[in-house]
Amino acid sequence: MAPALLLFGAFVLWPIARTGWLSLHDWNLVSPDREFVGLDNYSELLGDPDFHRLLGRTLMYVAIGLVGGFLLPVGLAMLTLRHAGRATGVYQTLLFVPTVITTAVGALVWQFMYLPSGGPVNELLDTVGISPVNWLKDPSTALPAVGVVGAWQNLGFSYMIALAGLSAVSPTLLEAAELDGASGWQLLRHVVLPLLMPTLLFLATTAVLHALPNVFVAIEILTSGGPAGSSSNLLYDVYSNGLRFFRVGEASAEAVVLMALIGGAAVWQMRLIERGVTYER
Amino acid sequence: MSASRHRLGRLIGNAVLLAAVATTLAPLLWMLVTSLRPKQDVFDGALPSALTFDNFSAVLHSVDIGRQLLNSVIFAGGVTLGQLAIGIPAAYAFSQSRGRWSRWAFAVLLLTMSVPFVVVYLPNYILLSEVGLLDSHAGMILPQVASAYGIFLLRQHFQAFPRAIVEAARIDGASEWMVLWRVVVPASRSAISALAIFVFISTWNEYVWPQLVAGAPGMQTLSVGVAAFASEEAGTQWGSIMAAATIACLPTVAAFLALRRQIFNVLLEGAVKG
Repeated sequence: MAPALLLFGAFVLWPIARTGWLSLHDWNLVSPDREFVGLDNYSELLGDPDFHRLLGRTLMYVAIGLVGGFLLPVGLAMLTLRHAGRATGVYQTLLFVPTVITTAVGALVWQFMYLPSGGPVNELLDTVGISPVNWLKDPSTALPAVGVVGAWQNLGFSYMIALAGLSAVSPTLLEAAELDGASGWQLLRHVVLPLLMPTLLFLATTAVLHALPNVFVAIEILTSGGPAGSSSNLLYDVYSNGLRFFRVGEASAEAVVLMALIGGAAVWQMRLIERGVTYER
Repeated sequence: MSASRHRLGRLIGNAVLLAAVATTLAPLLWMLVTSLRPKQDVFDGALPSALTFDNFSAVLHSVDIGRQLLNSVIFAGGVTLGQLAIGIPAAYAFSQSRGRWSRWAFAVLLLTMSVPFVVVYLPNYILLSEVGLLDSHAGMILPQVASAYGIFLLRQHFQAFPRAIVEAARIDGASEWMVLWRVVVPASRSAISALAIFVFISTWNEYVWPQLVAGAPGMQTLSVGVAAFASEEAGTQWGSIMAAATIACLPTVAAFLALRRQIFNVLLEGAVKG
């Protein structure tokens, strides 16, 4: 166990502690003088309207993550369990393909898809009479456009997990709920949903926790957070503030805020797991 | 009535699923078609006028794919071996000890799993630059070896291993080290190889970390190289960019199609068995 703890100490725990320490400083990564500023970085962040906007965008990404990483895969998984039969494996394999290609390539392909003139997305919209959109350069479309790329690359993953989680509930029960005409809705509400609830909660919290990491590379390659920060989020800003603009103190303070939020979500999820979300396979 | 209603539901359900599959795969098909088109008709509708490998040979001429492949193999292979070398003994120790201290250590480990790796990129970058490991294989690999996922997964497996056998080996005088490598590990071969496949593919696919600490031309992995190639071409030569993208996809897609059962198993155990 010792070498594992050593490595974790050096490359995970020490960096986290160091992030906390750096967040109390003003530093540009190269200059020899590093000024201790106490909690200034935090109070600046909290009072900064740009930071509030950043939090809003972070929430937007979480919402997209919930649709693409929870609602959509759960819906597809339910359809699969009810109707796909022996084709299940084929759907599972094909939907998973984008997940196994490198995120950088996924983003490049979508850069092409989104090209303002001649890009397949705009060409397709043109056939139904919608005029071309400059998806990645327009502040109002950049965030959802990037969010779609992240959701696209991770749909296969959440679909597979949803499929496994939901198949633990007996399909005859779903059928019973549907066949029982008048009281079908009530059966669904009072029998099926409570049974599925632990699985659904688990999938939803996973979708929330994965929402920001899942769009990271797409943001980096497609927009770098722009235009004018409109497609950034808290996780991406930690990276770009620290490693592109070398505002180490501010980036570290953001990282601490982010870790507090994630830690809360993760502890909540672990509680859910402890409450007995386990499946037989 | 219920039979025909059922058949209709089945039809609609499968139609929706097929539509989802088609939408999901469309960008990749588009990538493939674009990579095989002559340069001048990249934007000429859905169907290419002719098929050609010109774009591929253009990529192979201007990019040192061999070097990048080698870097990717070293990076992914190093991280995989490192995670196994560290993770197997750690997982075994966690699976055997019931003490308060080790329960706490394990809880901390689990919590680090949900910290996005990006959060520690900045301090790790500073650390690597301080010890002079930027643009080196060791620098790329070492921080990525510290991953809780494998430890977590293998611990589950080792815990399920019959205690009686472990006890019997101990009574026969085997050291803990021997019990682990001679008894427990051989019996968990399939779980370990599934984990190795998964770690290898996901490390192979990493982009931000290798680009950050090993972006120098001779050190680029395949993912980093493709992105660098695309930005050099500055969004003009889409045929060759898509050819480079296709080349970068091929190894992992092929590996996935061949090994999908193991990959699904390891993901499910990590995610669902909690």
